[in-house]
Amino acid sequence: MNGDARGWRMALVPDTLINPRTLARAALPDALEVLEVLEASGYGVLQLPPAGKHGLLLAVIADQVAEYAHHGYAVVAIGVRGEPGGGLHWRRLAPLLRHRGVAPPPRHLIRPDVDAAAERQRLAGFLSGYDLPVEEQRRWRV
Amino acid sequence: MTHPESLPRKVALLANCLMNQNAKVCEGARYRGLVNPVVEALRSRGYELQQLPCPELAFAGVRRWWAVYEQYDTPAYRAHCRRLAQAIAPLIEQHLRRGDEVILIGLDGSPSTGVRFTSSKPDWGGRPNRPEDDWDIVPRRGVWIEELEAELARRGLPPLPATGWALDMGRFDEAGSRRDLEQFLDSREAAAGPPGDDPAAP
Repeated sequence: MNGDARGWRMALVPDTLINPRTLARAALPDALEVLEVLEASGYGVLQLPPAGKHGLLLAVIADQVAEYAHHGYAVVAIGVRGEPGGGLHWRRLAPLLRHRGVAPPPRHLIRPDVDAAAERQRLAGFLSGYDLPVEEQRRWRV
Repeated sequence: MTHPESLPRKVALLANCLMNQNAKVCEGARYRGLVNPVVEALRSRGYELQQLPCPELAFAGVRRWWAVYEQYDTPAYRAHCRRLAQAIAPLIEQHLRRGDEVILIGLDGSPSTGVRFTSSKPDWGGRPNRPEDDWDIVPRRGVWIEELEAELARRGLPPLPATGWALDMGRFDEAGSRRDLEQFLDSREAAAGPPGDDPAAP
């Protein structure tokens, strides 16, 4: 695509990792700025809602993930260990994705209770190491 | 003592592609993923971020053609936008009912997500053969923002203070867009006065 800067990779991210006010995020160390790591790694973000019932919104998000997954985009999920469903509404979202013909994306779980710098590095390693197979990239990313 | 969770928050509703440039129409992405100047300007001023769904992606797909306001101004697309608005409105309503300050940052020039400006060309249609950027920029909301605002009004909620990041205005000027956004945010802070003086409730 001429002059287009998109990175072709994105992450499903819980609200709790994006917004500092929510309780779980407050327990995360400041050094672990997930949005900074995602930006530095060239990932876009698909934000999951906070805890609660969000059936229609999750269906809308699943529609978008399916569209990306069917057209050469790499999608991962970043969860939080200790949060229900990793903060990703996984028990609702995974079946919605399967229903749309999409395997649930690879998940990386942040561990809030360990060294933040090491967690940051572990996340950066996961993000940089993940992409679609080269033949899939060649097929779509022209 | 007041628990921080009960204090009013500042929440910015963001056009989907401001957090994910992969949602842009082909040749429209100016960043790899996050639009960092927008995210930084908001977070440094204490705003929480709430990403809106992308109406065009879910309707016409990632490989959609470029389009103008008039091409999206159809009953089917508006019905789709209303469904998305109904999906996200409960979160927005929850914030407004608890007295949070909620603002909207759209994408100026976009046929869907424009706030101050949208793109217009009533004669676009048929075979996609427009080699030149011959659309016009007109001062009005995009279709998605119109439907989102209508849904919030149906719920008896007040209009949101809103502006747009000028990504789809033809020639993209990042420095100018950043200045514009910061002026919008700073004027709100100036109007609110020192922390603690602002009831924040709409």
